[in-house]
Amino acid sequence: MSEIYDIGYRHYDGPRLGRAYATRALAVHSLRGVFGIGRPARSKIVPFALAAIMIMPSIVGIAMMALVKQRGIPYSGFAVVMQAVVAIFLAAQAPTVVAPDLRYRVLPLYLSRPVSITEYVGAKVAAMTVAVFALIAVPLTVTYLGELIVDMPGPPATGEYLGAVLMAFLLALLLAAFGLALASFTPRRGLGVASVITVYLLSSASVPIIYGTLYSSGNESAAAWAWLANPFWLVDSVQHWLFGTTPHSIEGAAYPSGPASAAVLVLLIAAGLAALALRYRKAAAR
Amino acid sequence: MNTVVAGITYRALLGRRRIILLLLLPLALIALAVLLRAFGAADQATTVDLMQKFAISTMLPLLGLIAGTGVIAPEIDDGTIIHLMSKPISRPVIAQTKFLVAASLLAVFGAVPTYVAGLLLIGGEDGIATGFAAGTLVAGIAYAAVFLLLGIVTRHAVTIGIIYALVWESLVGNLIPGVHKFSIQYWGQSIADQLSDSPFFKTDVALSFAIPALIVVTVGAVLLAGQRLRAFSLTGDE
Repeated sequence: MSEIYDIGYRHYDGPRLGRAYATRALAVHSLRGVFGIGRPARSKIVPFALAAIMIMPSIVGIAMMALVKQRGIPYSGFAVVMQAVVAIFLAAQAPTVVAPDLRYRVLPLYLSRPVSITEYVGAKVAAMTVAVFALIAVPLTVTYLGELIVDMPGPPATGEYLGAVLMAFLLALLLAAFGLALASFTPRRGLGVASVITVYLLSSASVPIIYGTLYSSGNESAAAWAWLANPFWLVDSVQHWLFGTTPHSIEGAAYPSGPASAAVLVLLIAAGLAALALRYRKAAAR
Repeated sequence: MNTVVAGITYRALLGRRRIILLLLLPLALIALAVLLRAFGAADQATTVDLMQKFAISTMLPLLGLIAGTGVIAPEIDDGTIIHLMSKPISRPVIAQTKFLVAASLLAVFGAVPTYVAGLLLIGGEDGIATGFAAGTLVAGIAYAAVFLLLGIVTRHAVTIGIIYALVWESLVGNLIPGVHKFSIQYWGQSIADQLSDSPFFKTDVALSFAIPALIVVTVGAVLLAGQRLRAFSLTGDE
């Protein structure tokens, strides 16, 4: 009697694109969302305005190289100098990646497809990492190309540029992991923005005060550790250890020497990813 | 002032995760004060530095943002503001009540910890603690009004508020000194300067400008918020 139930629905027999394809599609969709592409113009204002602010120093730098043969902000110090802008970008855009899915409880819909929690979180982190990396690396590359075209006296700073790009990637990964972990604790976008910027400002405003206090009371070696509490100075200290660039801390204060800061960086990235994984294991169960 | 609206707003703000953020900042300020004291660096210069760089220019705008937008933006986001606005309560009264709630939270989480941190560091010397407490209180009230208005006007209130507090007041303000004249936190510092006679503390905004500016901005923002709420249309999310 099977014909009673056979009401003519056809099975899908086209190609199955698989979980890798779905993960990639999710990552690309999230990345477009970070910059407001495919969303109304209002959502594009903030990310593109911040990107424009980021590119301004490299335009000034190229003009300085062309006119007075002088370098602007060094490649290795670009992220530290522009840290407020990068932090605002992270705070403003990280919630747009994670908040809507939590808010409208569509996570079970994603998970009913071949995409698993690990791949969902991985796609979101990848999208945010690429966005922050592009924000820092594009101005660096523009300055470098400008330097090649202007033909400065002496060899181009290729090594410093490549080191800065590598560090920009590590910084982007650290910021993306932490930014998304903080933003994913609330389904509200406004509160997510506020919590990311609060954590950043706590680290950036308190570090110089802690450093100054410890330094002036004679604990120079302990004072150096204070810089590691801020993500931008942490990555700069790793760069200082790996490539021997000058420290870009306030007044060029010394960082703790050796691979300790690299270990802290790896630990923090792992902690951020673990927090995200734990958060989403809970969120998926709702 | 409507006590029921005030009660609902207090519960919404203090009963959720927002309170963690409201507590985190003042606790960090007091922790820094304890640290400075423990290392024997508690003199007038460092106290003024901590108050200027942390209390007034970092903690206060953030608290203002969290409390000021927090009293109204989540309700607009969820659409539950409709239930409040369909009651026979005048809309300007709703706006004023929400402003009073935000201002009281800023007094508790902003001005009181500032006073405690000041007392911890140098006691009552030269009126620094009282001066900064008064400065944060007045500037906090102004921030509450401005960010309440921002929360009604736009859904991106927090982002715009951060850009105002970080880019305009800090970055641009440090590059172009004249900008300090149009910055709430410098008006607050001007009040703090008036009450303390510490030689380490100087502000560049005259009191005769700061006080009228604070009053105009606060009253203007609350009145405008009431007006905006009267002609409010709830639009969908993007």
